[in-house]
Parts: sequence; structure tokens; C-alpha cells
Amino acid sequence: MEKRLGRLLKAGILAALVALYFSLDESTRRYLAHIGKQVPYLPYRYFI
Amino acid sequence: MGYDAVVIGAGLGGLSCAANLARSGFRTLVLENTDRVGGCCSSYDHQGYRFDIGASVVELAWVIDGLFRRLGKETKDYIDFIPIDPIYGFVTADGRRFSYPVSVEETGQVIARFSEEDARSWERFAAVGSDAVNFAFGKVITESMGSLRDMLRVALANPKLAKYLKYMVLNFESVLCSFFKSDTVRASMSLQSYFIGLPPALCPGYVAFLAYSEHEGIFYPRGGMIAIPQGIATALREFGGEIRFNSRVVRVLTDGRRVRGVELADGTRIESRVVVSNINAKTLYLELIGEERLPAWAKRAIKSYRVSIPAPMIMLGLDARPDLDAHHTFCYATLQEMNRIWFEDYLSGRVPDGGFMLISWPTHADPSLAPEGHHCLNLVSFAPYRLAEGDWDSYKERYLEKMLGLLERGFGLRLHDHIRVAKVNTPKDFERLLLHPEGAVYGLQNDITCTAAFRPGVRSRVFRGLYLTGASTHLGGGIAPTVGSGMVAADLIQRDFG
Repeated sequence: MEKRLGRLLKAGILAALVALYFSLDESTRRYLAHIGKQVPYLPYRYFI
Repeated sequence: MGYDAVVIGAGLGGLSCAANLARSGFRTLVLENTDRVGGCCSSYDHQGYRFDIGASVVELAWVIDGLFRRLGKETKDYIDFIPIDPIYGFVTADGRRFSYPVSVEETGQVIARFSEEDARSWERFAAVGSDAVNFAFGKVITESMGSLRDMLRVALANPKLAKYLKYMVLNFESVLCSFFKSDTVRASMSLQSYFIGLPPALCPGYVAFLAYSEHEGIFYPRGGMIAIPQGIATALREFGGEIRFNSRVVRVLTDGRRVRGVELADGTRIESRVVVSNINAKTLYLELIGEERLPAWAKRAIKSYRVSIPAPMIMLGLDARPDLDAHHTFCYATLQEMNRIWFEDYLSGRVPDGGFMLISWPTHADPSLAPEGHHCLNLVSFAPYRLAEGDWDSYKERYLEKMLGLLERGFGLRLHDHIRVAKVNTPKDFERLLLHPEGAVYGLQNDITCTAAFRPGVRSRVFRGLYLTGASTHLGGGIAPTVGSGMVAADLIQRDFG
């Protein structure tokens, strides 16, 4: 039961984030997508 | 002879660092690839005209004053700054013209002609901008931000930074649109995003306040932009520092994870316990040090950075006064058009048919830069490094014609009849001359994932004894940030080796 609730909560958060993303204007979406692509490199960039 | 510190590149960051080190008693040598100081803040003489190579004006001049004060000197003894007013003249595609003076109040009156509401917002924008420039972001120019600890320390020392956090999360376009409603007003403040090499949609929001920071006062140095690095170089020499011109460094010598000097193109090796690099960080790590000597994570980090968009420049010597109203003229496009140009033209390797342009008119401030009655103009635009068709060397002449055509047809500015000298510096030229990869005069791309501790560190975390200054490191491109980076590097070096 707890496991199911946990999954539902995660799915709910994901759905809210997706809804929030698509509620933004095109310019902000572009900006966030641009930043998002760079995020995986941050741990490397911190150490150079 | 060995040196305590060798600086690669006589740009503003390198000279600022070198002067501070020399004053502290370090035996300091600056090695410059070209025959002049300044890098992207320089000038050269051509057929009686003096043209600026990159930067065209100084804002946040207090950073330069701070440098000279730290050296125990006064700026006025080295550089003669001429105040510029108005800041910008604007020419729209439908031929309208207006100017923004330095006075915040008078600029508000100009804005009121387009929108009363925006004129009121301008007061609010200027108040926020003044606070942000003087008490928040301005403070970080001369502070080390190389680690999360540094960032926390700076944040705690400048609690106002927290207030402006939203401007780091929002983009430039959103910030501008949250203040202003008129397309004309928005467009008049949109060029600043390209000053860090990004379109309004991808540029961090805090950059929008550059449109205010210019109202703190902008200046042009008498004798051309080269007068600034020349002034710092003079101070450096007074402290016993040396500059060698036409000396290209081809290798940074290392011993394990420690630097031990540099090697020049002629094979000369110069030993030094400290090496300061004022060149692009990608060139430093991938070419002068070499991929094979980098740990895998460092290789991945440095390769992950994109370089900023190049800014080809056209220098014109005219035999008459141009029909302009200010030191800087912005032939402008709307925010939407500036984004479209990036996403549809630049990313496809095309030089746009329409577009925008910044015209710099240095002889407006200092007539001595050209023969009597003649004038110099610099036309600055942005363009991709890789062209969809052909290359820059073969495209040069067509680019000149295209840009002159854009001015004439797009903005009603006819220059053809009075051009006596015309010269184009393409991204390829910037790459060859100043060793900027892909001709990126603004160094690495300046978004928030490439800032503070996530930009290549002023104190290298890969090699002991290696320090970075200039546009590749904190805080990025521009005169004040690069001068500030030199001061930060000198502080760190004195702490580590003093």
C-alpha cells in the first residue's frame, strides 16, 4: 500500500512539473530546455 | 632567467594580474602573441585612422579605478576618460530616431514618448538596477567565486544577492517584458543580451540590468581603447614587470599536476612556479596543456563548454561626418526578431539578410583618431562561425557589402560615398589574431550553468600554480569583469605563493 502511494506521489509530482512546463511561455521553455541540457555537465565543470 | 610568474597574453585580465603581482614583488613576465597590448580591448593604426579592435566603450569604470588604487596610483595619471553622453542613438527600420542620455530622468522622458506606463516602469527598473549593480552583482566582479564555499561567503557578505536570485532563474526576455510593455522600449534594451553572446531567450535575466548600468556613466579613453591596457602596462613596467611582444606560447610545461613554466614557438623554455593564462580556457587546456595530460573528468568538463557567438567587425574610415547622433547607434530589431535570427539563421550557419547592428563612432568622442574632418566607424554585428556556404575568408567582401546594404536599405544610413578605408575582421581573423576558438570574442558562453564556480576556475583545480584570467573565467567577458579577474587571480596567487 505504502509503495503504491509512493509511486502515485512521484507520478503526481512529475505530472505537475510537466503541466507547469507547458504552462510557461515559449521563451521560458526554451531557456529551461537550454539550461537543462547543460545540467549534466555541472559536476565536471565544478572541478576544473 | 626564471620568473615568479609568467602571464600568457597581454589582455586586460593578464595585465591587471601582472601589475598586481609585480607590485607585490613577484618577478613577472607577460608574453604576448601580437605586437600590442589589450587583446580584445585594443586599437591599431591603418592609413591615418585609428580603429578599435573589440571593446568600444567602458562602463563600471570604478573597477579600473579600484585597480589603480590597489596599485597605489590614480587612473587619471594613466588614462584620460572622456564621458559619453548620450549613451545610445537608436535607428528603427521605419526610420525613427531617438537617443537615451546618461541621465536616468531624461531617459524616462524619452521613454514616455512611447509609453507613459513604461516610463514609470523605467524608474522602478533603474532603482532595481542601481541596487543590483552597486550592492549585489557589482560586488562579485572582484571576488573569487571558485567554489561553493566562495559563493556562500560572497552571498553571506552581500545579503542583497538573495533578493535578485529570481533574475538568475528567469531569462533576459522575461525580465525585460516584466518591466516594459512597449515593443519599442523592449527592443531598445535588447541588444545587451548579445553583449554576452546569447539571444534574449537564452540569456540570464540579470544581464537585462546592463541597460541600466550604462546610466551610471560610460567613457571612452582618449587615444582609443588601447589607452586602457597601455595605462595598465605602464604601471606594470613601473613595478619592474616585463612584456615581450611577438612571443607565442605553444606549451604550458607541467610536472605531474603542477605547472613549471612555458615553451615559446621558437623553442625557448621559461621556468616559472606560477603561470597565468589570459587566453581562452579551451585553447589553454586542450592545446597548450594538451588533452593527453588532462584527467578524464577535466577533459569532459572543458569540452562541455560552448564558446560565445562571434562578432565580426567592419572598420570604416570616412571623409565626412556620419549622419549619426551618438557614440553608439543601435540599428535595432524587436526581441522576437533577435531570437528568430539566433534560432533560424545563426544555428543554420546563415548570416541573416535583415537584423540588427551596433555602430560605434569613436571620433565622436575623440576626433584625434582620424585626419581632420574625417571619422572612424566600427560596425558590429553577430554571425555564425561555420557558414552554411563557403568560409569567412572568401565571404569577407560580400559580408562588407551585405552589411552596408543592410544599413542603407534597412535603416536609411548611406555610407558608401564617404568610405575611404574599409576593413573587415571576421571570426576567422579573431581566431588567428587573438587565438579565440571559433572567433568567440566573449570567451565561453555565459549562461548560468557556466558561471561562478561552474566556469573554469581562476585558480585551476587541475594544475597547481595555474591561474586563469579574462573572459573564460569568472565573471566573463567585458572590460570590468576581465580587469576584475586579474585582481582576483593576483589575490589568490599571493595567498598561495606570497
